[in-house]
Amino acid sequence: MELLQITNSPSFPLISTKKIIQMNNVYTSYDSKNYALKEISLSIDRGTIYVIVGQSGSGKSTLLKLMNGMMTPSKGTVKIDYQTPDMNNKKFKLMMHKIGYIPQSLGLIKNITVLENTLIGALPRLGKIQSLFKIFPEEEIIEAKKILKQVGLEGKEYRKIYMLSGGERRRVAIARALMQKPTLLLADEIVSELDSVTAREIMNLIVDAQKTMNLTAIMVHHDMQLALEYANRVAVIKEGEKILEIGVEGDKIVDFQTGNLTSDEIMEMYSVDT
Amino acid sequence: MTPKNNLLIGIIIALLVVASYNIGANPIEFVEGLPNLAIIVDEMTEVEPSLFITAFWSMFETIQMAFIGTLIGITISLPLSMFAARNLYSKYVYVPIRAILAAIRTFPSILWAILFVIMVGLGPFAGVLAIIMYTVGFVAKLQYEAIETIDSDPMDAVKSIGVSKWQLIRYVVLPESAPHLLSQILYMFEYNVRQTSILGLVGAGGIGFYIINYIKFFEYGKAVVFMLVVLFVVLVIDWVSVKIRDKYIVKSQHGIEVTTQSHP
Repeated sequence: MELLQITNSPSFPLISTKKIIQMNNVYTSYDSKNYALKEISLSIDRGTIYVIVGQSGSGKSTLLKLMNGMMTPSKGTVKIDYQTPDMNNKKFKLMMHKIGYIPQSLGLIKNITVLENTLIGALPRLGKIQSLFKIFPEEEIIEAKKILKQVGLEGKEYRKIYMLSGGERRRVAIARALMQKPTLLLADEIVSELDSVTAREIMNLIVDAQKTMNLTAIMVHHDMQLALEYANRVAVIKEGEKILEIGVEGDKIVDFQTGNLTSDEIMEMYSVDT
Repeated sequence: MTPKNNLLIGIIIALLVVASYNIGANPIEFVEGLPNLAIIVDEMTEVEPSLFITAFWSMFETIQMAFIGTLIGITISLPLSMFAARNLYSKYVYVPIRAILAAIRTFPSILWAILFVIMVGLGPFAGVLAIIMYTVGFVAKLQYEAIETIDSDPMDAVKSIGVSKWQLIRYVVLPESAPHLLSQILYMFEYNVRQTSILGLVGAGGIGFYIINYIKFFEYGKAVVFMLVVLFVVLVIDWVSVKIRDKYIVKSQHGIEVTTQSHP
């Protein structure tokens, strides 16, 4: 990637009528004085891969939680598929069924099997009695096994989570999200702490799923190189503010928006993040 | 040692002395009483082996009482612990439930036994009811505390799918707290066997009924047979529960350790 081609002139303003995420001037705070996120505005096109890059503590995980309704902004507006997130709203709850969220620690249940963890993604489609007695319809079990094969876990369906390696656990988390038949996939630091070969295998899985299921994948990373390699757009977050947004096509940078940064500052930041 | 610490230790010792004086604790009496203990021990050596069969049968009754009490008690406490967990329900639900559980715990099982003997008459059934009450108060508290310490990440991950509260409980809370629950069931059963041995003192059935009657009539040689059986059975249960714990609980703890590893 020739980053030195970057100029400070924004060239291709993206036009899209189908936005999956819209944020306008969003602030979030854990207490009344300190903001975790400040003045965040962004919009994400349906069917793309969007990566948020930032160092730990920059607020990027918080940003991801705004995108599935698990958090609400203290100021500003968030729209997910043109709806305001509200966990008590039935219509929004239906939408949550279609948002696959993989937290940094993956959120798997350790004492149950790979297959059972995957089937959790099918819970919204299950009736009350069926879910109480863990009776999953045959077609859901077939679907789960198909997805597990797709993510490379064939033959490990009946292992417990604590018997798996770090890379395999990430595959289970992806399988659970895919089991939701999602339109939006959110992944928080899914390849951190993995070696580069495994990290790329995991990223390829997500890219493949994004293409075949035509979903939108929004990921949080701290590795700028990996972000530029896989994303259609990359946003850089520093101390709770979006300081940079890059549009990528192949190995070309097609759109570039900054605040009042000089190119030296951008390069400095780039070197810090890689 | 800071002067503040010295002062604190001084206050604790002063309180110990004052309290001992108030309750009439007298070490001299203890020493003077030692020969009495020797007499009892001497009489206890005159064991009557013919009673062992009766002792084992009454112990069997005690174990059955403890088994029923533990099982029913846990069954009742499980839903209560869900309602009492702060990470599952709002304060309008958990505050009253916790208050009820705290009220149940204020009575030791022997007081519950007296109450139930008055209600349903002498015999093992009163003992079982007492064990149920005690188990509910205790296990529900231990279990809601275990639920509150569940890792919030699996909860958040599954909650974000938009599942119902019951699905969340069934698929995250129960499996995640299962090792704690198993540990509590084993502990409670063992504890209830020991407790049920005592409940006979107030006429609530089991082996304690024999022990208290033989002691009342100064037949220590007979009482000791029953006490030995209690000792033996409690040791066996303890040994079995250690085995079960090793097999199921330690393994899942090991699983938690592996989670922190970054890679294979």
